[in-house]
Amino acid sequence: MPDDSLQPDPDVDLVARARNGDTRAFDALIHKYGEKLYGLVYNMTSHKEDTHDLLQDIFAKAYHSLPRFRGQSSFYTWIYQIAVNMTLNFLKKRKRRGGLSLNELDASFQDDPALVDASHLANPEKQSKLHELQKRLNEAMLSLSEAHRTVVTMFDIQGIPHAEIARILKVSEGTVRSRLHYAHLHLQSKLQDYWE
Amino acid sequence: MKPTVEEIGNLLALKRHERPEDGYFDGFVREFHQRLREEEARQQGLAGWWRKASAWFSDLGASKWAYGGGLAYATVVAVMMTAPRGAEEVSSPAPTPVSHEMKSVPPAAFEQLDALDLRPSTQGSTGEQEF
Repeated sequence: MPDDSLQPDPDVDLVARARNGDTRAFDALIHKYGEKLYGLVYNMTSHKEDTHDLLQDIFAKAYHSLPRFRGQSSFYTWIYQIAVNMTLNFLKKRKRRGGLSLNELDASFQDDPALVDASHLANPEKQSKLHELQKRLNEAMLSLSEAHRTVVTMFDIQGIPHAEIARILKVSEGTVRSRLHYAHLHLQSKLQDYWE
Repeated sequence: MKPTVEEIGNLLALKRHERPEDGYFDGFVREFHQRLREEEARQQGLAGWWRKASAWFSDLGASKWAYGGGLAYATVVAVMMTAPRGAEEVSSPAPTPVSHEMKSVPPAAFEQLDALDLRPSTQGSTGEQEF
């Protein structure tokens, strides 16, 4: 993640071309940041179809808002802010209409070798319960408040530094650290009975 | 036993491997362009309708006020004519049948007519006043 205060935005040229109607330049931005944004939205919603639809909305919103992008932050920070705000709004609506069934959770990463190793290290005799671990982890994530899930996704999953998270969420670094602390305590207690 | 914060972090870090399948963003971009085209067509449709309406109205020039006034008058008249008028109606009482029965004249009345002297008279016996 680029630090806006230290480096110039590497996307100035692409953004300028996209703003002038060059859709190929915007396609390049989609390819450049799509995967990061996918990870953000997917880990906040835990739902593939919602992630796809939201990502389309996010890029459409960014495309139409390009004329108002002043370049005060990097393009990545700017579109990341759009993504966080739109995903939080979406989660509020989803909560109102009844939330998410855990049956809809995607289990695509349960065969990930890194997860197999981690599960083996944590609990060698329970390797067969990989799916259970994945389900419990997703359940624990979904039981976090939206604000806590957001910082956990950005810090623990996406590896974004505290200062950058603070800039994206427009809160202080102290707030980010505090939210992370309480989120970790919550996750520890949620996974406690599984962790032997 | 509670997992440590590091263990939680390590477990969560594995979720960064959750990525869309290869080629996902090629299809994504195609869908994105389709969406933009649809939005543009929709906006052009609305904009075109508005442009035509604006052009027609501006072409009317000074007479637009007359057209506008006439249209407003016609609207008011149409509303008044189609408004329900039940409140103005007065209910009339139910009609009563009219009797046309012929009554027979008593014979005594004819006898009295016969007794009258209806012949013309010149002597003012009928009570004419003399001047």
